[in-house]
Amino acid sequence: MAKYDYVMAHTVEEAVGLLNEPGLRSIPLAGGTDIYVALRVNPVWFDRLVDIGRIPEMTEIQEDENRISIGAAVTFSKAAGSKILREKVPFLVEACESIGGPAVRNCGTFGGNVANAAVCADSLPSLVCLEATAHLVSPKGERQIKVAHLVKAPHETGIEKGELLTHFSFDIPSKSARSCFIKIGRRKAQSISRLSIAVLGSLDSENNIDFVRICPGAAVSSPTRFLNVENALIGNQPGEALFTSAADQLVAEMIASTGRRWSTPYKEVALKAIAERSLKKIFLEDGSAHVN
Amino acid sequence: MLIKFTLNNKPVTVEAPADITLSVLLRDYLKMTGTKEACEVGECGSCSVILDGELVNSCLVAAPSVMGREVTSIEGIHDADGSPNDLQRNFIAKGAVQCGYCIPGMVMASEALLAKKAEPTREEIRIALAGNLCRCTGYMQIVDAIETTAEERTKNGTNLKRENRSQ
Amino acid sequence: MTEYKYIGKPAQRVDALDKVMGKTKYVGDMSLPGMLYARTLRSDQPHARIKRLDVSPALKVPGVIAVITSDDFANHGNFGFPISDHYMLAYEKVRHVGEGIASVAAETPEAAIEGVNAIIYELEPLPAVLDMDHALDPDAPQVGPDRTDRKHPNFIGHFPVYKGNPQDKLAECDVVSDHQYETVMQEHAYLETEGGLAIPTAEGGVTVYLSCQSPFIPKGHLCSTLNLPDDRVRIIVPPVGGTFGGKDDLNYQTAGQVAALALKSGRPVRMTFSREESIIASYKRGAMRMKIRLGADKDGTLRACEFKSTYDSGAYSSQSPFSSWRASIHAMGAYRYDDCSVDINTVYSNTSYAGAYRGFGNTEVCSGIEQAIDEMADALKIDPIEFRLKNCLKVGDITPHGQMLDESVGLTDCLLKVRKMSDWNRKRDEFANKSDGDKRRGIGVAALFHGTSLGAEGVDEASSTIEIHEDNLITLTSGLTDYGTGARTVYTLVAAEILGVDPSRILVHNPDTNTAIDSGPTVASRTTMLGGNAVRIAVLNLIQNIDWAAADYLQCDLHQIHRDGENYIGPSEEPIPWESVVQHARDMGLVLSAHGRWTAPEIDWDEEKGTGTPYFAYHFGAQVAEVEVDLKTGLTDVKGIWAVHDLGKVIFPQGAYGQLYGGISHGLGYALYEDLDFQDGFAQNVNFDTYLIPTAVDMPEIQGGFVEAAFSKGPFGAKNIAEPSMVPTAPAILNAIANATGRRIRKLPANLERVMLGKTLAKKGSAESCKISLKIT
Repeated sequence: MAKYDYVMAHTVEEAVGLLNEPGLRSIPLAGGTDIYVALRVNPVWFDRLVDIGRIPEMTEIQEDENRISIGAAVTFSKAAGSKILREKVPFLVEACESIGGPAVRNCGTFGGNVANAAVCADSLPSLVCLEATAHLVSPKGERQIKVAHLVKAPHETGIEKGELLTHFSFDIPSKSARSCFIKIGRRKAQSISRLSIAVLGSLDSENNIDFVRICPGAAVSSPTRFLNVENALIGNQPGEALFTSAADQLVAEMIASTGRRWSTPYKEVALKAIAERSLKKIFLEDGSAHVN
Repeated sequence: MLIKFTLNNKPVTVEAPADITLSVLLRDYLKMTGTKEACEVGECGSCSVILDGELVNSCLVAAPSVMGREVTSIEGIHDADGSPNDLQRNFIAKGAVQCGYCIPGMVMASEALLAKKAEPTREEIRIALAGNLCRCTGYMQIVDAIETTAEERTKNGTNLKRENRSQ
Repeated sequence: MTEYKYIGKPAQRVDALDKVMGKTKYVGDMSLPGMLYARTLRSDQPHARIKRLDVSPALKVPGVIAVITSDDFANHGNFGFPISDHYMLAYEKVRHVGEGIASVAAETPEAAIEGVNAIIYELEPLPAVLDMDHALDPDAPQVGPDRTDRKHPNFIGHFPVYKGNPQDKLAECDVVSDHQYETVMQEHAYLETEGGLAIPTAEGGVTVYLSCQSPFIPKGHLCSTLNLPDDRVRIIVPPVGGTFGGKDDLNYQTAGQVAALALKSGRPVRMTFSREESIIASYKRGAMRMKIRLGADKDGTLRACEFKSTYDSGAYSSQSPFSSWRASIHAMGAYRYDDCSVDINTVYSNTSYAGAYRGFGNTEVCSGIEQAIDEMADALKIDPIEFRLKNCLKVGDITPHGQMLDESVGLTDCLLKVRKMSDWNRKRDEFANKSDGDKRRGIGVAALFHGTSLGAEGVDEASSTIEIHEDNLITLTSGLTDYGTGARTVYTLVAAEILGVDPSRILVHNPDTNTAIDSGPTVASRTTMLGGNAVRIAVLNLIQNIDWAAADYLQCDLHQIHRDGENYIGPSEEPIPWESVVQHARDMGLVLSAHGRWTAPEIDWDEEKGTGTPYFAYHFGAQVAEVEVDLKTGLTDVKGIWAVHDLGKVIFPQGAYGQLYGGISHGLGYALYEDLDFQDGFAQNVNFDTYLIPTAVDMPEIQGGFVEAAFSKGPFGAKNIAEPSMVPTAPAILNAIANATGRRIRKLPANLERVMLGKTLAKKGSAESCKISLKIT
């Protein structure tokens, strides 16, 4: 006797219909990389999987005018190989390349990563830096919400029952923008993030920082930009002393948010370091680099 | 439910419950035990197969989701006459095989890599194997085998054309 | 220098073909009509009395066919050697999380789990011993069995080595170091989890395909706990997906459980463990806390060593009495001392129990002593390799145990070679001068010695048989198993070399208690020495008849015949094919099969005095590790490892290198990543997402080399490599980290927090991972 059923959806409309069929608890299935792991430690919490992994509009990466849209079922491999993303948002590509191993990247998706909302989810810091919008569809219609607001706490999102994440969209950063994603894992590959940081920024013609966004990962309970730190950087010339002060402030704000926890002695040193390194990388060096 | 798909270039139809994974489908329902299970959380890669040309952990793939698609398992990797192919021969020649449990997954990951990259560096090979754990070999001779195979395939012009290994 | 045809020459592993094709069948790949699937109810408490156990609800679950408890075994299923403290299924008490309480066999794996979850039971928690330092407190809860000798029930043994009086000598030394080191339990993490398939036989017995190392041992246990005569129990070892020492004791319980279920149900029964079950329930490398004092003169001469440690054997003694003994013999390192003492006290506790794992006590002590040696070299301001060269054992030395080493000591050679290979001197200078910045490079060394085979642990012999069949296929049996080590290939090459035939003619059977001869356990890296010698003698016995036939065929004396490839050539110069000689032997009525048995040389050990001749031969080696440590993240990047080992003689080169590289990967994980993180008796990391073993990216390029200081009694001079390959890796890495950062990591693993902060940061854990995994998966 199967514990749950399976059905494949071919369009968004069909998927939403299946997810909202009365009398059945249906949930979306994308890459499977989170669901099957969760099933090993949780009794089955659904009656049916709705496979949305091959719905055409959900597996596309598109660029138009000044926005990029990434389907929720786009895999990390596909994203990492995308010319558009490699050129326009390289730090997002770095994040994708840092997730799991090749087989996991071939299956894991943006939608799954956001919906699962693990505190160490690697796509989140970059998406939050990009002020990415999550697009959801339900029988009530479509809605949009910033990813940073959608993810509320570890494994907790604002996705409503029967709602389907279809894609994410964000403004393309300016041509002069540089970005960087740094991840710390316990070993050199296929690691859960101990801590990470995504940084996006640019300099104006006088070499002042005119734009910066900073979002650490696995640092506070849900991924968020640190606006005070960003503001303290804007209008200044890049320099190591400036970055150290910004990094100190970032750490202080992290601790203010979480309180001093068992991991704080480690994180306060490591976060400061990767904040300094990422700022240095984008403002004093040549931009993107994946540094472990 | 009835699951119809292509396995190692042959059409397959199998009746199986909806709630099993591809690894269980292959091993228990189709009795193709070359694909192994060793962790079931997508960390060790011993369950690796190639699905529509991409390396996947079959322990994380819903069996029904392969309907109408192409799966290649270790049983599909060989020369036309059924003998080991060049990669497999190099695995043997270089001493890359000890207990053998990780080897089907390693072979799949290697073929997936060589289908995308003609002459990977040793570092690139290691990155491509990051999802395949081995506890016996320390990986050195496995990397040697893949590096040698890549060189040979470049020399005889067979790399990147081998879309489907079980010709 | 003898030129061999097969020994030491490139060869292909005999069983690799099926493995690369995916055709090899391990226990979990085997199925038979009517086969049942078995799962075991396991304790979710570290220490508890079984107050109630009612398995009848399990039998009501559709598909469940049979359920067993300790009642289904003779003498409650009690077994174990050397201390009989273990049970096939828990009797009255559970002593660690994961201990088996009852086993269920059902038509499907899902029904088996449902059956397990339906069992009604009550565990009354007992106070637990969770810290080895308190195991011997007067009021410590009792973990070990009752004793009649008035010693503490949690005391397993005291393992000493004594030479002179180190306490006094230390007081005289110019420089004395006094440091502590701690290791934690390590999980074998073989890719194939535990499993067994039992088939009831028509004569009322049972055959078990068991993923194990030493088939005769479970055979004996099944005979005694199932009340079956010797000829009714058969254990066959199929291809095994790795053991590293880990598939003995726990898998004897698996064998007993599936056998009892098979006999009760009348059907084949297969049990395979999930990964979480394997990590939670299986035995581990023991944990050790060490206090090491060394004394030396200003000129760098080591004078004294005082080594004290507590060794945690967890809930059962398993092989700890033997690994503690081996640890004691190796605890002072491969050096000369005027005075030396080793005191290891081994105790019970309520964590996973400790059993055999690659290195078997030496891995643990080496990680301490080789760091202590480095700290002393530092204190003396002498280069670590120079310090070791000055003090290491050489031929003609008397060891601290009182043994004269009269041959086969290649350590000096290993140190010299590894120094050159790793470009040690240049790097030491270069790295010393770059002592600022967040990323620091360092290079470190560690040396080892490792006694070959069982030593004074027990009777040490092995047997082999060889037969030439009617179709000229040559088959070999050995009582020792190949679980990826390459032993079958070694035996094939030994036989081929002596017989003078192509290795492809030879087939080594899987070990089968019906046809092989008990050769003791496949442990202690003894397969090449003991098993190889047994094969050698079997072949030499066989050859007598073939030689006789050759001389008769060629009508000449034996000394007039020489070999050319497989051919025999007599005075007539006409090459006679091997098959013709063999056929002639048949025609003469000669027997074309033989036995061979080799017994290890006599050794002795005085357990009280702590002196003797502990091993008849020793492996020696040295490894260098180069690291780059990121001080701000705590991540250690191992840039390279160089390893040179004296293994006597390389028989199967790719196999020897494979063992070397593989052992180093265990050592690297042990040093940097592997942490079960027991809290209150519950492991926190129970699958590969959190119990981290090295990936191909974590492992560096390794340059290996061998020194062949041949041992006269080894087959072709060979000693061993399997375990020694891992023993020095962790201390080499830890010494490199210290060189890079100035920080000495005293507790393994050297994880991010310890490297960055110099202290342990631990998240408060819970019982959750264990409890959930044992129920659902």
